[in-house]
Amino acid sequence: MTIYETEVPGVGRKFEMEIDGGQRLVVVLHHDGKRDVYLRPDEDADSEQLFTLSGDQARKFGSILEGAYFQPVELDEVAVPLGEAIIEWHEVDDGAELAGVSLETASVREETGASIIAIQRGAETIPNPAPDTRIRAGDTLVTLGTREEQSEFEALIGDE
Amino acid sequence: MSAALVEVGIGLAALALTGYLAHRVSLSVIPAYIVAGIVVGPHEPTALFGISLTLVSETEFVDVLAELGVVLLLFFLGLEFSVDQLLADRRRILAAGTVDLVLNLGVGIAIGLVFGLSVVPTLFVAGVVYISSSAIVTKSLIEQGWIANPESGPILGTLVYEDLFIAVYLAVLAALAAGGGDAATVARDVGVAFAFLGVLAVGAWGGTAVLDRVFAVESDELFLIGVLATTTLVAGAALTLGLSEAVAAFFVGAGFSQTGHVDRIEHQVAAVRDLFAAFFFFSIGLTIDVTVLPSVAGLLGAAVVLSTATKLLSGTVSGRFYDLSPLRSLRTGIGLVPRGEFSLVIAALALTAPAPISDVVPPFAVGYVLVMSVVGTVLIQYSDRVTDTLVPVAPTRD
Repeated sequence: MTIYETEVPGVGRKFEMEIDGGQRLVVVLHHDGKRDVYLRPDEDADSEQLFTLSGDQARKFGSILEGAYFQPVELDEVAVPLGEAIIEWHEVDDGAELAGVSLETASVREETGASIIAIQRGAETIPNPAPDTRIRAGDTLVTLGTREEQSEFEALIGDE
Repeated sequence: MSAALVEVGIGLAALALTGYLAHRVSLSVIPAYIVAGIVVGPHEPTALFGISLTLVSETEFVDVLAELGVVLLLFFLGLEFSVDQLLADRRRILAAGTVDLVLNLGVGIAIGLVFGLSVVPTLFVAGVVYISSSAIVTKSLIEQGWIANPESGPILGTLVYEDLFIAVYLAVLAALAAGGGDAATVARDVGVAFAFLGVLAVGAWGGTAVLDRVFAVESDELFLIGVLATTTLVAGAALTLGLSEAVAAFFVGAGFSQTGHVDRIEHQVAAVRDLFAAFFFFSIGLTIDVTVLPSVAGLLGAAVVLSTATKLLSGTVSGRFYDLSPLRSLRTGIGLVPRGEFSLVIAALALTAPAPISDVVPPFAVGYVLVMSVVGTVLIQYSDRVTDTLVPVAPTRD
C-alpha cells in the first residue's frame, strides 16, 4: 500500500493511496482544512470526486474509519485497557514544557511512542487533533500507548 | 484625507463588484480587477451616460498598496516553492520545464524581434509571454478535478520550474530596466543582480533556524505583523539599493518555507496577500490607457495566437516525459495556457523602466493577460471539445 504525497502550491497537499484492483484514492488537503476525496477507478480513467469534508468533519470521519471513534469517558477512570495498550488522561500543568506547543512540534509519538488521540479542553473534546493544534496549559491529553510508553509520556510532561 | 478614503472605498467597491461578476461566470478575478481599475481610473472610459468615471487617481497611496501586493505575491511564491519536490522529481521537472522555457520564451523573443523591438523590450515581452499563472492554473486544476489525475504531475512540475526561473529572470530584468547604458554597465548591473541573488539564497538557506525561533510567538497578531515587517523591510531595502524588491520577497518566502511556520502563514497572511494583490491588479488597470492598445494590437494578436500554440505544444511534449497518454499530454498543455499575475509583475517593473520599455510593455502585458487569462480558463472549461478534436490528429510516439 504505497502512499504518494505531493505539494500543491497555494492549495495544500495531495495524497494518493493505491487500493485494490489498480484503483486509487486521492485526497487533496487544503490549507483551510477542507478535504476533497476522489476515486480513480483505473490508471487510464479520470478521477471522480466522491465528497468534500471540512477539517472537523474529516477528523471525525477519519476516527470512524480508523475504528477509534469513542465517546468521552468519565475523568475518574484514569486508564482503559485496550489489549496491550491503555488509554490514560494527563493534565497539562501551567509550567509544563508542552504548553503552547503544537502537536507537530511536540512530536510526542516519536519521543515516547504514545499517541495523543484526543484533547479535552474545558467542556470541549477535540477528537483526533490536527498536527497544528496547540497544547494549552489546563488541557487534559488523552493518550494511547503501552504502560512503558505512558510512563515515558508522563516523564515528558512532568506529570507524576 | 477624506478624498483618499473615498477613493479607496470606490476602488474596493469596484473590486468587489467585478470580482463578484467574475465568480458568477467562473472566470479568474485577475482580469476582472484590471477592468475595475481601467473603468474607474483616470484614462478612458472617462464617462458613462454623462456620469464621470474618473473616480480614482493614481496616487502614491494606491501605488504603495499595489507594491505590497507584488511583494506578497512573490513572498508566497517563495513560501510555497518546494525544493524537496524539485529535487525528488528533478529529471522530469528539468525536462518538462526546459521544453516549456525554450518554446515559450523563444516564441516571445521571436515575436518581439519580428515586431522590431530592441533587445531589452523583447526580453520583457518574452517574460510576459513565457510565464503561466500559478493562481489561475491551480484554481482551474481543482475546479476541473484534474488535480487528482496524472496530468497534474507535469503541470505542477512545470510551474515549479517557471517559479524558480522567474525569480532569476526578474532580477536580470530589474538590472536591465535600471541600466540601459552601454554593454559594460549592463554586464555590471546583471553581475550585481546575481551577487544579490546569491546573498539572498544563502540568507534564506541559513536563516531558517533564526526565523523558526524568532517567530514562535503565541499572539497571532504579532506573528502577522512580524512576518509582514520582515518581508516589507527586506524588499524595501532591496529596492533602495536599486535591486528587485520582488526577488527579495521571493527569497524571504523561501527562507520561511523551511520553517515550521508555513501553515500559520497560509492561514493568517494569505488574506492580506489577497487584499494587496487585488490592489496591485487594480492599480495596473489605473495606469493603462486603453486607447493606446491599438498601437500594440499586431504584437498582441501575434502573441496570443502563437503563444497559445507553443504552450499547447510544450505541454504535450512535457506530458510524454511523464509517460502520459496523448489525451492527458494535451491537457497538460491546455492547463498551462492561462497567464496572469507574474506577467503583470513584469509589466509593473516595465513601468519603472525608461522608454520605449515603459511605452510598449505595460499596455501589451495588460492586453495579453486580459485575453490569456480568459482564453486559458475557457479552454480548460471546454477542454473536452479541444481534446476530442486534437487528440485523433496528435502525433503518437511509439
